[in-house]
Amino acid sequence: MKAARVFQLTALALVVVSAVQVGWWLYDQHAYTVEKVQAARVAYAEQTAAAQALLDSGASPERVRQLLPGIVIEGGRATLAPELARALTTEEERRYRQYAWEGSFFLLALAACIAVIGRALREEAHVREQQDSFLAMVSHQFKTPLASLQLSLETLALRTPSPQAARPLIDRMLADVARMEQMVTQILESARLERGRVELKYEPLQLAAAVGRVVGQLEERARHEHISISSDIAPALTVVSDPLALDVVVRNVLENALAAVKSAGGGHIALSAHATDHEVELVVRDSGVGFAPGEATRLFQKFTRLRSGAGYFGTGLGLYIVRRLMELAHGRVSAHSDGVGQGASVRLTWPAAPAGAARQPAAEQEMRS
Amino acid sequence: MSAAAPAHVLVVEDDANLAAGVMENLRAEGYEVSLAGDGEQALTWLAAHGCALVVLDVMLPGADGLTVCRTLRARGNTTPVLFLTARGDPADRVRGLEAGGDDYLAKPFHLQEFLLRVRAILRRWDWYRSASATADTAVLRFGGNEVDFRVFRARAWTGETQELTEKEAMILKVLAEHTGQIVSREDLLERVWGYDVFPSTRTVDNFILRLRKRFEKDPANPRHFLTVWGVGYRFMTEAEP
Repeated sequence: MKAARVFQLTALALVVVSAVQVGWWLYDQHAYTVEKVQAARVAYAEQTAAAQALLDSGASPERVRQLLPGIVIEGGRATLAPELARALTTEEERRYRQYAWEGSFFLLALAACIAVIGRALREEAHVREQQDSFLAMVSHQFKTPLASLQLSLETLALRTPSPQAARPLIDRMLADVARMEQMVTQILESARLERGRVELKYEPLQLAAAVGRVVGQLEERARHEHISISSDIAPALTVVSDPLALDVVVRNVLENALAAVKSAGGGHIALSAHATDHEVELVVRDSGVGFAPGEATRLFQKFTRLRSGAGYFGTGLGLYIVRRLMELAHGRVSAHSDGVGQGASVRLTWPAAPAGAARQPAAEQEMRS
Repeated sequence: MSAAAPAHVLVVEDDANLAAGVMENLRAEGYEVSLAGDGEQALTWLAAHGCALVVLDVMLPGADGLTVCRTLRARGNTTPVLFLTARGDPADRVRGLEAGGDDYLAKPFHLQEFLLRVRAILRRWDWYRSASATADTAVLRFGGNEVDFRVFRARAWTGETQELTEKEAMILKVLAEHTGQIVSREDLLERVWGYDVFPSTRTVDNFILRLRKRFEKDPANPRHFLTVWGVGYRFMTEAEP
């Protein structure tokens, strides 16, 4: 990175020096031409004046023509031969044209080089800036659960509470560790998505089965947090997506809903799905803390966290990952809430699988090849 | 902390787990504790209630901790503030203290250190209050100036009313308690800020300059706040000839 930057800066400096040199060369050529043309004009004027002086002093026109072949004499007046005057003008124009073309060609080429290098430098600076703010953000995000974890551990060490009194402390510690684990996963996922290093498969998948798996994994935690999850998805509904991406998308949306409902002190999450002409839509509705309607698009940007009664939750990466994965899956995602405290719904739309493309290993193989 | 009623601490923290941990520990130490989840809640709470200390997270949703502290000071609220923050570099510390904070603790922090700092801040304020409790000690008069320690207000010799910051008042208190004696910069730091908060004793000098500007007839030739070169300061109620 650093060597590349030194190289770019050196190249930029060389190109700028070259451009200055071309500019100087142009100026020099111009000055030279002007000087030469001026000298020729003066010489011709002197010759004409000399011829006129000779004529005036009584010399015969023939004699004068012999001495000064470039002079034309008509009716006792000496003038410069028109072909000489023309030749001078032609030569002057030829020289101007020559360096105007050559010079502007070089200047254009050098300007293009400067633009390319400058752009690369700017882009690099932008990337660096983003990385810096990403690092600052990430380290801040980690420090809070880390502080909470340390505080709980030191509380255990300092106060040696009874097993019963220690239980909430241990639960908090487990939650903090889970939070950090989720952050690591999400950071890695978003980094992968950003570098475009994801190769997604597109295959027909049974939506109900995919959602059922995720719900099954989160059910116990939901019960613990006084949240009920209901799901109404027809088994026939099939979407085209990458199996892993579908899992991540559904999980992140559900995690988000769980956090929103938990902050509201418990409630309900309802999943429903229906098919339209070429699409399948999954709606995740929750009775959580909701958000201001104006925040709907901001939610899917990096590091946007929902505000709730108990504070922010999440890493600010979950819904960003959902949006990116949905884009890659040629799908869409949107969120809606009537306002803070009004619950929220997230709408995920995938292209529907062609009729009859049930999820079977054989069919999957065919699709992939 | 007075023996009669437990000191009331307001915890302003948006992270539920961390807030729970901090509150439990403060309660276990015998403090009464309240919670605010964000800056606006904290300001609303503080407008209606009083407390002995605010434990204030810097990164809060909405108005951040620094803004909350500045707003509080602008309202004339002198409740001591202990900042908790994920950013712990010296520049951030100074920013926090300039916003009117009393102390600054970077996350993740040690529980014992946190409790120690809470105790230290409360002890300093306890000293200040008890040292300003009687009619004799509540008001300081010197060179035509009159300082009321209880309300952090002074009438300068010009007749102008001056609002003192809590640090200015505390420095003045320490100096007044030792009228005529030399007080070192380190002593002032220790008494007013506690340990290792500021990177240098230069801060004390800046505060003395501010006090001179407020109360000296000619701040360039001080008669009350005298510098003892290389050591510290000496306060005189009667103008030095």
